[in-house]
Amino acid sequence: MNSRERLLLALNHKEADRVPFDLGATVLTSIHHKSYRALRIYLGLPDVQPRIVDIFQQIVSVDDDMRKRLKVDVRDVAARSSAAFRIEIKEMPGYTYFYDEWGIGWRMPVEGGWYYDMFDHPLKDIQSIAEIENYNWPDPADPARFVGMGKRAKHAATVEQHGVFMGGLCAGIMEMAAWMRGFANYFSDFANNEKLLVALMRQVMDLKMGYWEKALAEAGEYVDVVNEADDFAGQFRMLISPAMYRRIVKPLHKELFDFIHARTNAKLFFHSCGAIRPVIGDLIEIGVDILNPVQVSATGMDSAELKREFGKDITFWGGGVDTQRVLGDATLDDVRADTRKRIEDLAPGGGFVFATVHNIQGNVPPENIMAMWETLQEFGVYN
Amino acid sequence: MEPILQNLYDAIMNGEANSTPGLVNQALNQGLPASQILNEGMIAAMNHVGMLFEEGEFFVPEMLIAARAMQAGLAVLKPHLAEAEVKAAGRIVAGTVKGDLHDIGKNLVCMLLEGAGFEIIDLGTDVAPEKFVQVVQEGRADVVALSALLTTTMPNMKATIEALNNAGVRGNVKVMIGGAPVTQAYADQIGADGYAPDASRAVALAKSLMDA
Repeated sequence: MNSRERLLLALNHKEADRVPFDLGATVLTSIHHKSYRALRIYLGLPDVQPRIVDIFQQIVSVDDDMRKRLKVDVRDVAARSSAAFRIEIKEMPGYTYFYDEWGIGWRMPVEGGWYYDMFDHPLKDIQSIAEIENYNWPDPADPARFVGMGKRAKHAATVEQHGVFMGGLCAGIMEMAAWMRGFANYFSDFANNEKLLVALMRQVMDLKMGYWEKALAEAGEYVDVVNEADDFAGQFRMLISPAMYRRIVKPLHKELFDFIHARTNAKLFFHSCGAIRPVIGDLIEIGVDILNPVQVSATGMDSAELKREFGKDITFWGGGVDTQRVLGDATLDDVRADTRKRIEDLAPGGGFVFATVHNIQGNVPPENIMAMWETLQEFGVYN
Repeated sequence: MEPILQNLYDAIMNGEANSTPGLVNQALNQGLPASQILNEGMIAAMNHVGMLFEEGEFFVPEMLIAARAMQAGLAVLKPHLAEAEVKAAGRIVAGTVKGDLHDIGKNLVCMLLEGAGFEIIDLGTDVAPEKFVQVVQEGRADVVALSALLTTTMPNMKATIEALNNAGVRGNVKVMIGGAPVTQAYADQIGADGYAPDASRAVALAKSLMDA
């Protein structure tokens, strides 16, 4: 059985020979360059300079030798940057920083920094919808983004026979609204400036549709999974109420997901961190096929309960080990026990792609990563 | 309750930041003491907001606009509180620990603490342990409040407590911690005095630390 067949069986809720494994097919299931380099050395692989695939999170493109060593089943065919934009990293006291193609400012501490985080939000001061319309938005359909994408997807699917994952244009419609407005403004908008918020989310959605139109025309026939996202929950509960989600955002999500489904047979992968259990049923209803990262440490997100309640209707891509409380600093026995529990909870009947809960962080020792992986090899096997 | 204070209370509950400064001024013009305006019109409203948050009625948007309305009113009231020598509920130095740039949670905690009558020194994000130590050494804080969103930066909470120890000022303050990866067990492990899972309970914790 090849990797692509293995993935497709899992996504269709059937048991393959073993649970498919993802490391690095998405910017949500990858690994920080520091722990990646340490893992390469630990495994005796050449100490190459890691290729950063996502500058914000400082995560890598997992090299072919590592993919082979760890039997990774999925590969990504990401779009490239638009030709009109080039990232320029500059320095300010204590930080390096840059502005992305949306005009959002990001910085990372020179000393002790792990990631780039936002410090400047281009629409923080706007008062009117006209200012959204007049903003200098990136061109989602710039042909430079899609150069070679179809070829890469075809090669991955038919020659390498990997599962093929296609990333999106940008973060989710809520997330982009938050990042453009700044978090405090964004949350206030939910309560007292709904029209502006919806106009902003719709603007981002239009750009996303422009992207998906092109990307799926270019490579859709070889793509198994497409990626959308929106974070709107915290550790213990949702950040906005389920009722507010249903009234304001869900119709937009539905419109976007319908648009995508109309253009591809690929499954829709939706990333959403935290305690989102109250709306998992809503997500299923509007066309989400796959849920990520399955943050098992958040309230209401126990893997066994989720499988019982939603396992027939949604695939869990993630949740393989608790990265928040276990993978980084628990004992190797704890890592093995947690990994085994998650596999036993989520694997039966298919509908499970093994990945850590979000990216493997930079301080995770290689021994822990391999304890997780060895547990997957031992227990992630179907009879 | 005085009608004007009821109006102020309602305006904060509803997050009407545009109307709270005017209502505070009206209450002052009616000759109400600044402390009464603060306690009955504002802190009581924020207590109610905190309760609704804990009960799952309010979420971040509702709590945030209430806190912003509170802040707008407080800006008008502050000089009058100072003039009347109304003492703060306590002085709290807050910040997100070194290496961590996340501030929405920390800001919300600060706003709610301010809404509960605490004086806040907000050091911002990516705050080195020495900066907390300096504020404590200057005698400007009763409580140190540390935030972290990341498993990778959480260890800097421990480093900050160690820095307070090394400077010999740990006994001068209480230390409270919070943030997504943080737990009570971690607080115990690093010798913090308390942990709160959300902004509302951070207020209750700060009050209890002041009483301890």
